[in-house]
Amino acid sequence: MTTTQETAPAPEREEIITGCDAVAQALRLLDVDVLAGYPIRPYDSVMTAVSKMIADGQMDAEFIVAESEHSQFEIGKHASLVGARAFIGSSGVGWMYGMEALVVTASLRLPVVALVGNRALDDPGAFGVEHNDAMMVRDTGWLLYWVESAQEALDTTLLAYRVAEDKRVMLPCALSMDGAFLTHSQHMVRVPVADTVSAFVPPYELGDRRFHPDNPVSIAPQFNEDWVMEARRQSDAGMRRARAVIAEATADFHRVFGRGPADPFVDSYRMEDAEYVLMGMGTVGMVGKVAVDRMRAAGKKVGFLRVKWFRPFPQPELRALLRGVKGVGVVDRDYSFGSNSHGGVLYTEVAAALYPEPRRPVLVPFIAGLGGREVSVDNLLEMEETVERATADGVADLTCQWIGVRGPDSDPRDVAATAEGGVR
Amino acid sequence: MSDETSVGAVDVTYRGIFQKNLAGVITKELVKAARREDKVGGTVQRYGDSPERNGIPAKQFAVIADDMDSLRVEMTKYEPENVVVVCVMDDTLTKGVESWAWYGVRPINVNLAPGGTLLVVSHRSPEELLHWIPRRTYDWTLAILPGEPSFGGLWVYNDDGTDYRTMGAVSRVTGGLISLDSLIAQAGSAKNPDLRAAQLREGYESVQMHPIAAGVGAQDTYVPVEMPDWTQMREGLVVPAVEVGKNNTLFMKYTTRTTRPLVKFDTCVKCQICYTVCPDECFIPTPEGHYDVNYEHCCGCGICAQSCPVSGCIEMVDESVFESNEPLHKVFESDPAAYEDLRAEKVAQAGGANPHYGIY
Amino acid sequence: MAIPELVIPDLEINRRLTVLPMQEYYTSGHRTCQGCESALVMRYMAKIAGPRTLVTGTTGCMYVANTSYNSTPWALPWAHTQLGSAGSSAIGTAAALKVLMRKGKIPDERINVIAFCSDGGGGDMGLATLSAALQDTRYNLLILLYDNESYANTDIQASGMTPWGAVTSFTPSGTEQRITQHRWKKNVPALLMAGHPTGRYFANASSGFGMDLMDKVRIALDVGGPTFVQTHDPCPKGWDFDPRMSHELAILAVECGITVLWDCLEGELRYQGLTKQQVEGKVRRKPVADYLRRQGRFAHFTDEDVDFFQSRIDEMWEDWILPGVLRVNQTPFGRLPVDGSSPRQAGHAGAAVASGNGNGSGGAQIEAVGGNRA
Repeated sequence: MTTTQETAPAPEREEIITGCDAVAQALRLLDVDVLAGYPIRPYDSVMTAVSKMIADGQMDAEFIVAESEHSQFEIGKHASLVGARAFIGSSGVGWMYGMEALVVTASLRLPVVALVGNRALDDPGAFGVEHNDAMMVRDTGWLLYWVESAQEALDTTLLAYRVAEDKRVMLPCALSMDGAFLTHSQHMVRVPVADTVSAFVPPYELGDRRFHPDNPVSIAPQFNEDWVMEARRQSDAGMRRARAVIAEATADFHRVFGRGPADPFVDSYRMEDAEYVLMGMGTVGMVGKVAVDRMRAAGKKVGFLRVKWFRPFPQPELRALLRGVKGVGVVDRDYSFGSNSHGGVLYTEVAAALYPEPRRPVLVPFIAGLGGREVSVDNLLEMEETVERATADGVADLTCQWIGVRGPDSDPRDVAATAEGGVR
Repeated sequence: MSDETSVGAVDVTYRGIFQKNLAGVITKELVKAARREDKVGGTVQRYGDSPERNGIPAKQFAVIADDMDSLRVEMTKYEPENVVVVCVMDDTLTKGVESWAWYGVRPINVNLAPGGTLLVVSHRSPEELLHWIPRRTYDWTLAILPGEPSFGGLWVYNDDGTDYRTMGAVSRVTGGLISLDSLIAQAGSAKNPDLRAAQLREGYESVQMHPIAAGVGAQDTYVPVEMPDWTQMREGLVVPAVEVGKNNTLFMKYTTRTTRPLVKFDTCVKCQICYTVCPDECFIPTPEGHYDVNYEHCCGCGICAQSCPVSGCIEMVDESVFESNEPLHKVFESDPAAYEDLRAEKVAQAGGANPHYGIY
Repeated sequence: MAIPELVIPDLEINRRLTVLPMQEYYTSGHRTCQGCESALVMRYMAKIAGPRTLVTGTTGCMYVANTSYNSTPWALPWAHTQLGSAGSSAIGTAAALKVLMRKGKIPDERINVIAFCSDGGGGDMGLATLSAALQDTRYNLLILLYDNESYANTDIQASGMTPWGAVTSFTPSGTEQRITQHRWKKNVPALLMAGHPTGRYFANASSGFGMDLMDKVRIALDVGGPTFVQTHDPCPKGWDFDPRMSHELAILAVECGITVLWDCLEGELRYQGLTKQQVEGKVRRKPVADYLRRQGRFAHFTDEDVDFFQSRIDEMWEDWILPGVLRVNQTPFGRLPVDGSSPRQAGHAGAAVASGNGNGSGGAQIEAVGGNRA
């Protein structure tokens, strides 16, 4: 939708770097002013990278080693309030520890950008990817994005500041990146030069909210019931306006860098004439596309749909792309125990997004790859089979199936579970 | 309780913290007594007042109804409606109620239902009180329960019978919203029930009721605040700072005051202590080195009077004898003798100044 | 807006303030209690800091009581920060100023950064952030901890800096247990001073001694680097006494040796004013009973409780290596705490009256309780 006339490619050099390093490169190019770090695997290698760049004089910024995630995020929030471009990040329970500071950053409408290296929530202590950590801010006014590749991580970091700092939006943005597969493996990444980046991302201006003696204001006084709802509505308006700003920025990305995604909100792969679709977020998209190629080779009309922006949620795109489809399998790399059909968060959101459609595809929830477990091409082929069968059987409501877990769908020792059943 | 409705609220307007426990006892015991008449009820602490601050006006309500539906409707409000009686636990509250910022100074009887009663604990005459209480467009009743305001603390309750005397008076002025018998029966479960019963009866009998016609009373200058919508509010939860040299005119604080500092300028030694110790920045330097008082913002804490090294130079005088918040130093400037007469007159009118506690 | 000329005397670090600056940068019109000494501390702090200052404040009375939307008493730029974030808000603000000035994005000038916090927000929840802020010598920032000895804004719950035995909403005096506040007050300024050798200035002040307090804030801002000032401010609401006695109660706390006026500049410990005279033996400390018996929160104290309190204060002065400042006893601490598990005694309890709010727990007939019309 937004592919504009592409100019000659801007000068770029290729490097072999991890997703975290790619974000660090973007931060250098963005001339970020204040960064606060606190160690937790796997996001922390982005802080390792920037602190080295600062020490080597490749980057001019204040790097603060915080004494907790809560302080780390508060430091970012207050730096942003003074007018500094700020960056934070975390993973798993670290992200949870700073939750209070994350919430106020959003309600103060401060365009801090964060990297969430997705990680399973303790207990048990586990380092592998699960999307629940970043999901925890989905209702608080944070823009949320899930990347698939290191290149996308770099590009989206530029996009994130551009969108978050836009006067019409002014909301923080969290970039989610699968632990291990992106944070700790190196990819071929094209790194642009600073000039093109500054042409794409204008300087950060906080205007009459700037915390400075020349702009005497009181920020965030105590509100009572006569005011809070209006303030919430303002945040809501910022999030609603974000869609247009994202589209605009993505189009501009093409103009400046001579490359970029076709669709700002979703990554649709071989969706044309697709009868069956698999959906997911993050690196599952990489194997998903391979699986689709194999199924297409076998004559099946299958496509893969990857959700990139989770907030704002791409409901218009999903409705347009899925309304003609027979069956859809939603692969959640997260859990939402006790939710609809015992599926994950993405499943519930997709189901809600499609509800207004008169002709809805059969929707099949899957949970896979928790705690960093690999999701294989075979897993995805298996899921597609299940979707086709469910569509043929016309089963309306399917209890979520766990893919790649040892043991049966339902516990034979548990009568209730068997009665509830799964797809056979 | 008026005939057309089966629900009535008792509004207890009081001095924050000092009378919080008092208001709590009154509202709760009223509801318990009403239960003895097969009525239903509950109490409401106005949430906006919380956390209460010393002296800042606050409200608690007892809601009493014949049926649960009528009760449920009122119990989901911050300020229950159909207030049949407003109990004013300190008569200086009749000057107005500014409970928190931005909403302005509301009249003491702003929420009184037509035909309702304003019950004031006071030694003052109806005329004196009507000097402050704004007129209504309907008839109402001014009831006076003779007595001193009862002040306690957060941890120390001032058990002087004001609670039960007020409940007795409420029964009388509402024509039996809760009967005296039910109140006495309820008091039977309290400590020393005979004393409580006596206090209830005394309040019931000693309260004096004065019918006030529509249009009688002080001018009503209150203008309800206009609330901007979400597109009009500044984004990012931002409020402009006070301009240097000015102060916050959206919260005046003077309705917190029960006594005001009155300065005997001719004895002032210009030591600057009052200015230095005032937590509300209310002393304004005059060219000759005196310190005038900003009575719009003074909350009457009395620290200045207590800290002044000159005996009798700053005295705390009952607020209810003063007409306006106009600063007084200009009177002294034009005619020191006339000012001294005015000062002495006010002190006399107030029955003397509050005693100084002496220096430790 | 035109910023008026700063008339704060430009003194050498060790000169004392003799003239009181007359501008107000924290103004009339705050919803604080009658006789709120913490508000007075805010006033002194803003006065001496002047207009080129940024103030962040943690949640607490000095947040909720001061700034209720859509109004503010602050003439200085002020921003709310979360309850445990005084230190991190100061770091974030100071770091941003530094880098933006270095990059020429804002004019290079001296801007004071002050983060204030309460005994609960600073002494309990935010202690780690104060520690972090006081370690980072790159930034000029001042942490001001106003100590009113409870979580006052939430209606008085015990904090780590509430005095032993005091009644609070979470540590009531009951019919079975007289004393439920078992913790002795945390000595935050000494804790921070002892643990942060790179902190340039630490001070303990009192709202009762305004010039001394302003001097300490001024010195902290002038020396720059991470600095810390704590103030002791009587709270008429939570301590339960007549608001008009607030200021004198602050002074009395110093006279009794409970509050100690000291500072430590670049490692040098100094006493001030009345405390100095006490240290030099020119003035005798008043008995703590004078202080305790004037407050409703100690109304349940028995003579034994008062004696115990006195013995702990005496120890501060007679046994500590740094008298009144740092506890390293030269002899083992002699006396065990009163366990307070015995019932409240009628003689001290007064008439207990049931209350609709659960606060009317009863108390002694003592001086100066309640409002000034009592």
